[in-house]
Amino acid sequence: MAFHTIEKTVPEQGREFALGVPVPGSGRRNRNLPFRRPGRAWGGLGMLRTVVWVAMAFLVGVPLAALVLQGIQPEARVVFGDPAVASAALNSVASATGSALLATVAGAFLAVVLERGNVPSKGMLRWLVLLPFLIPPFIGALAWMALLGANGPVNKSLQSLGIDAKLSIFGGWGVVFLLAVHSYPVAYLVIAAALRRIPGNLEEAARISGAGTARVLGTVTLPLLRPGLLAAFVLTLVANLSDFGIPALIGLPERYTTLTTLVYRYLASSTTSNPLPAVSAIGLVLLALAVLTVLAQRRLPTGTQLGSGPAGMELELGRARIPVAVLLWLWTAIICLVPLLALASQALLPAPGVALTWENLTLDNIIRASTSPGAVSGIGNSIMLAGGAALCCTVLGLGIALLLTRDKHRSNPALDVAATLPQALPGLVIAVGWLLIAPMLGIFNTSWVILGAYVMAFLALVVQAVRAPMASVSSTLEEAARSAGATPLRALLDVTARLAVPAAVTGGVVVLLTAVRELTISILLVAPGSQTLGVAIFNLQQSGDYGGASALALLVALVGILGLSATAALANRRADK
Amino acid sequence: MKNRLTALAPLMLIPVLGLTACAGVGTPADAAATKTLTVYTSEPQAKIDQVVEAFEKANAGVEVKVFRAATGELKTRIATEKQAGKITADVVLAADVPTFESYAADGSLAKLDIENGADLDKKFVDAEGHWVGTRIIPTIIAYNTGAVSEAPASWASLTEDTYKGKIAMPNPDVSGAAAFNTAVWLQEPKLGKGWMEKLVANDPTVLESNGPVGQAVAEGSSEVGIVVDYVARELAAKGSPIAVGYPSDGVPYVSQPAGVFADSANQEVANDFVDFLISKEGQELAVSQSYLPVRGDAGVPAGAPALSEINLLDPDQVKIADGQKAAVDFFNSLLK
Repeated sequence: MAFHTIEKTVPEQGREFALGVPVPGSGRRNRNLPFRRPGRAWGGLGMLRTVVWVAMAFLVGVPLAALVLQGIQPEARVVFGDPAVASAALNSVASATGSALLATVAGAFLAVVLERGNVPSKGMLRWLVLLPFLIPPFIGALAWMALLGANGPVNKSLQSLGIDAKLSIFGGWGVVFLLAVHSYPVAYLVIAAALRRIPGNLEEAARISGAGTARVLGTVTLPLLRPGLLAAFVLTLVANLSDFGIPALIGLPERYTTLTTLVYRYLASSTTSNPLPAVSAIGLVLLALAVLTVLAQRRLPTGTQLGSGPAGMELELGRARIPVAVLLWLWTAIICLVPLLALASQALLPAPGVALTWENLTLDNIIRASTSPGAVSGIGNSIMLAGGAALCCTVLGLGIALLLTRDKHRSNPALDVAATLPQALPGLVIAVGWLLIAPMLGIFNTSWVILGAYVMAFLALVVQAVRAPMASVSSTLEEAARSAGATPLRALLDVTARLAVPAAVTGGVVVLLTAVRELTISILLVAPGSQTLGVAIFNLQQSGDYGGASALALLVALVGILGLSATAALANRRADK
Repeated sequence: MKNRLTALAPLMLIPVLGLTACAGVGTPADAAATKTLTVYTSEPQAKIDQVVEAFEKANAGVEVKVFRAATGELKTRIATEKQAGKITADVVLAADVPTFESYAADGSLAKLDIENGADLDKKFVDAEGHWVGTRIIPTIIAYNTGAVSEAPASWASLTEDTYKGKIAMPNPDVSGAAAFNTAVWLQEPKLGKGWMEKLVANDPTVLESNGPVGQAVAEGSSEVGIVVDYVARELAAKGSPIAVGYPSDGVPYVSQPAGVFADSANQEVANDFVDFLISKEGQELAVSQSYLPVRGDAGVPAGAPALSEINLLDPDQVKIADGQKAAVDFFNSLLK
């Protein structure tokens, strides 16, 4: 039985976690672990726990406490009287909710069709629909701007067909659409994982009782999928609430302001001399929203109690098979590939308005942008910051995950929340927290602020990557080490930690690849000499060098696609063994 | 066993990255020990990179760190740092004279100790010696040659129905030049509030800064744009369908002044940097970057008219300084 569970769960978990997607309810899995020796002294582990707690207090507790303290000051509350804040809050909630709904619907459709349907070339399609996940949202925004520019390829072709539609990506609808495009892959991953946990025998029973495919889907599969759908919705909602790049690039030109862009405006070019109280108050509201969401999500049924069974039924598409395949290929072409081509063409043309012909293409922008001192130092800073964050997250995350899975302690639930809450927090909240404590720590205007914020933001990626496989690995080896005379700490470090290292490294690589392309946090914390790659691209765009910005963006997109695909493939191969 | 080793390999890499990360993130404390100069500027990144490269070549042993942002962001940054106790930059190169006058007035700027100031027209050099203009940046009307056959002749003509919904302009909250222009327009007797109301009624697209305005006009998403002239001339030189018109009712300009902060611990090097900007070499570099120079002996950029051919507006800088915030607020109130 034990072997059965390992084989069943590990490959699945590996796939999900390799892409950094938390699975709802995984926090509870450790409760059914057998490893518990009441009344026994846990020598050495106490020390590990103390070290971890001190680090967490510093990394998570202090910035959030600073934010709360600053945000509840009377002077800070004045901000809520500002109509600009009210309209930005409304825009934030509306755009995040709308895009999360769209993303969940799209994710559910794709998950059902690609996981269950008998569509041709599934593997390729699965990778293609996930592409927007591998591209940072602000770069997706740049790509869509290139695609739907007033004289961009789409409007030009429409014009030549005699349609004067003047499609534009700018404004509230553009923000909702792009947020949905960049979050449906997460929804897809969460829903696909939930779908795989639905045992086939229920569907089989329905079918034996005479239900057709549509009926089974509508009365058995989808109702069982509800917790997964809800989890996907909540996850994308929180992520979209905090995005900066899309509302900044797509919303601001039409004066569509969200809370993130408003806070950026306050910090970057406010007319008030000290914007921090106002910004903290806004951050506090977002923090409260995120905490409520996390608490609500923890109360949701997780859908994991269904137990194991035969794999779910295959969805026989019948005559719809070919139309569905065509639809999926069109989808991937329009949503995932064409914007990238538009970005590439913008990067390869010498200046805007120059006709797109073979003779006009040049590598000038790419060479100029990637060798300019600003970009070189941006790339260097981003690699160092992401590398530093990956290292810290790997070590600390490994420690936390081991304590959570191998050492029952009454502070575990609190540790769990401390480690995973920041992931549900908008990057903005984290950035403002660090902005507030930086002067006290003497790291104001240095790269250390960004490093601290990165570790806080991405720690959960490693914790989750390690915890899931560890929870299903039996502790017999550790017990053997203990009987051979090792102390609990020694047994943990020599045996369990070693088993967990590959998962931790995978988590660390995901942190590296996520942090290296990050914009929301670094744009708020940037200082002389600490400009990151994301900020460098954003600045090129803002100063009007679209060619240079697209060139760098294209490189980041390609590196991200290759890097994350390779990591996921490696993790899957390891998990499949 | 082999598998485990392969899995461990990336782990070996990470500490290396981590160590370099620690080495890379220097603290400002060591800025005083070596000759490191921090410059706050609103110059486009590529342009300031060239300036820094030329300056470092001429001054061995000096390392210049640049923080580039739009003028509005720089002003906020400087204000925040001032409040926190100390401005961390040595040199500021941005914006317009009124901004520098206000910095001089509150004691943020040191007196310059430069040699090349004498070669410049007096209006580009502060009589009290706190700042010096470094390039002339006029704001003009650019137009897409594919969409518009003739440049709008004047600011007044932009309020005509022909241009409704077709104008792009920079956001005065972000762009220093745009904020300055707003004040100048309001104080021009022929333009003033009535003109600005009509301009905003013509539904202009307000983009973040001058660069995006140039892009919008070049790609044709806006047919005309209110933009600084070098942005448009550079795009034209690269082949974009964009041309420049100098409005007959007067061209406002900013001189992108440079100054040294009183808090700077590197006064000498900071002054050298400012002096370099207005030296013949520095100005020839500016000309090669499409700027109109503040020196007479550095030539003019290709495609640019001689200064004498442009009707430059020279309003009272003190009045502009006093009226700028109200002017921007007025403009923003019209947008809503």
